Amino acid sequence: MALLLFDLVLCALLLLLAGAAMLSRSLTQAVTLFIAFGVMMALAWARLKAPDLALAEAAIGAGLTGALCFTALVRYAKQPAYPQPALWRPLTFIGLVTALLLASLSQIPLQPSSAIPALVQQHLPQSGVSHPVTAVLLNFRAWDTLLELLVLLLALLGARQAPGDLPRYRGWSLSISWSRLLSPLLLLVSGYLLWRGAAAPGGAFQAGALLASGLVILRLNQQLSWLSWRHFWVRMLVLGGLLAFVLAGAVSLLLQDLGAVWLSWPQSIAGAVILIVESFATLAIAVTLTLLVVGEPKPEVADA
Amino acid sequence: MSVVALILLFSMLLGIWRVLKGPALLDRLLTIQLFGSTGVAILLVLSKVFALPALLDVALLLAILAAAAPAALVQRLRQQKQRSRQRTSL
Repeated sequence: MALLLFDLVLCALLLLLAGAAMLSRSLTQAVTLFIAFGVMMALAWARLKAPDLALAEAAIGAGLTGALCFTALVRYAKQPAYPQPALWRPLTFIGLVTALLLASLSQIPLQPSSAIPALVQQHLPQSGVSHPVTAVLLNFRAWDTLLELLVLLLALLGARQAPGDLPRYRGWSLSISWSRLLSPLLLLVSGYLLWRGAAAPGGAFQAGALLASGLVILRLNQQLSWLSWRHFWVRMLVLGGLLAFVLAGAVSLLLQDLGAVWLSWPQSIAGAVILIVESFATLAIAVTLTLLVVGEPKPEVADA
Repeated sequence: MSVVALILLFSMLLGIWRVLKGPALLDRLLTIQLFGSTGVAILLVLSKVFALPALLDVALLLAILAAAAPAALVQRLRQQKQRSRQRTSL
């Protein structure tokens, strides 16, 4: 009973925040509402007993997206005055997207197939890790994860084509010292999440997103000016996730017999391979997301 | 146990008034901080209700990341402050 009421209130809150964020007149207001929405979404995933998704949503929705939207707002010289488009255009767009979403909704089976979880459980001992989600992401469907890293890299390369001039404001001394206090904690917890990923919810993506939030906080406070695309090794870090993945795939292809499938790890070293790939992926995700959110360091604007 | 989670969620529902009405940016920011800490509490309760210890990690993450949004918002506040100063000096 109480849980049902909990669900109803949570749904009402989600809809209220989403609607208010879209209808809000000021962009700053919309961003704050959207951050609140991210927190609620993490709660919703936790309520649905999906801790993996809740972790990802907490790291992205509550942490990075807010920072991304606020830095984007600072980039505008002033509130952009949008030319009012003809009403039918947004309406057609919304109608089209809604129709597509509804059409894809019918594709989702009402009852999740019980065959796939059983299959995963059956092959879990050979995967090198004991958490099924990690086993699927880094072993059974490693190809998908590799392509996701590629998408992230393409996003960064695309964003670099549109140079923004983010004016820098020297952080208040309180926020600088506080960000310095916070960063070792973030480093520790993201390492913990990465390590936990083998046996429990966690893993490269969550750890990378958390690390990226830490780097973004430091960068917004004018630290880490070395973290720039100019440096060769930063570029290597960004590429590192993909490189480690492809190299691991090539090496394990050589180690196995003929006819082995691409990106399938030999059972004896699967755990180690997954940990190495995940570590490089974490660093790559963290640096890529940081560069995406805050861009290049610029000489700061003096303001007393 | 789940009654506790419900009560905590209701306290968020009360906070939503400040998020929607403001009036200042800082009011909204503080409400988001309130959401963050209440969210941590709800996650802790839910991890007991569902016997899912992994939700404790989510709570940890949410608690740490509650600090991320203000860091970005400070930039925005600084910008507003500087712009209003420029306006007065003109």
